[in-house]
Amino acid sequence: MSVICVLTPIVIGSWPSIVAAVAGAASAMGFSTVTGAAAQAAASGYEQVRSQIPHSEVLAEALKGGEKIRVQKDGVIIEFGRSAEGACTVCVSGRRSKSELQRIGQEAAGRVVQQFAYHKLITELKQRRFTVVEEKVQPDASVQVRVKLG
Amino acid sequence: MERPELLITIDKEGKVRVQVQGVSGERCLELADLVKEIVGIEEQRQLTGEYYGPSAVARQRQLHQRERTGR
Repeated sequence: MSVICVLTPIVIGSWPSIVAAVAGAASAMGFSTVTGAAAQAAASGYEQVRSQIPHSEVLAEALKGGEKIRVQKDGVIIEFGRSAEGACTVCVSGRRSKSELQRIGQEAAGRVVQQFAYHKLITELKQRRFTVVEEKVQPDASVQVRVKLG
Repeated sequence: MERPELLITIDKEGKVRVQVQGVSGERCLELADLVKEIVGIEEQRQLTGEYYGPSAVARQRQLHQRERTGR
């Protein structure tokens, strides 16, 4: 080794790129995408916890307004959207305690950041002539990728 | 010719850890900066032995030897 860096990703992207990261994160957590009406019916009347993905910005250019993506598992609905300030929002609802919903929201936010960072890094490194030589998902759910120049 | 390699680990909270391998000195820092530019905020950077390259290590050994022998 010669240099080791630890970085916190900045999640700035168009709505489609956020949706792709959410889809990857949801799949990794065993959640599946649901339509708006079904999600609202399933989540109505239950506890809700709202938060935002840190260092995030959903670019408004490709947005028609009010776009949201909802995923669900075991009666828990997670809704991702865009705040008025442009941050990516996470709203978790379901028949669970507030702290449990908070934990699920934090995990989902982390997984979205993980997916976003992975795709951004791989895409940009490939453009700079790097090649993926090894890739694996570790038991702790971290993703390990080895890339080489040329 | 040096062939740089990056070992990237992204944990489930999204934190990114990158090890730059196979290069030393300035080139190594350039690659670390490239990853930083792509990902975002750098929290920590640590230089390890390989950064200084084998010539720097050999120089340090020579200096140490001179100090010990007085020559």
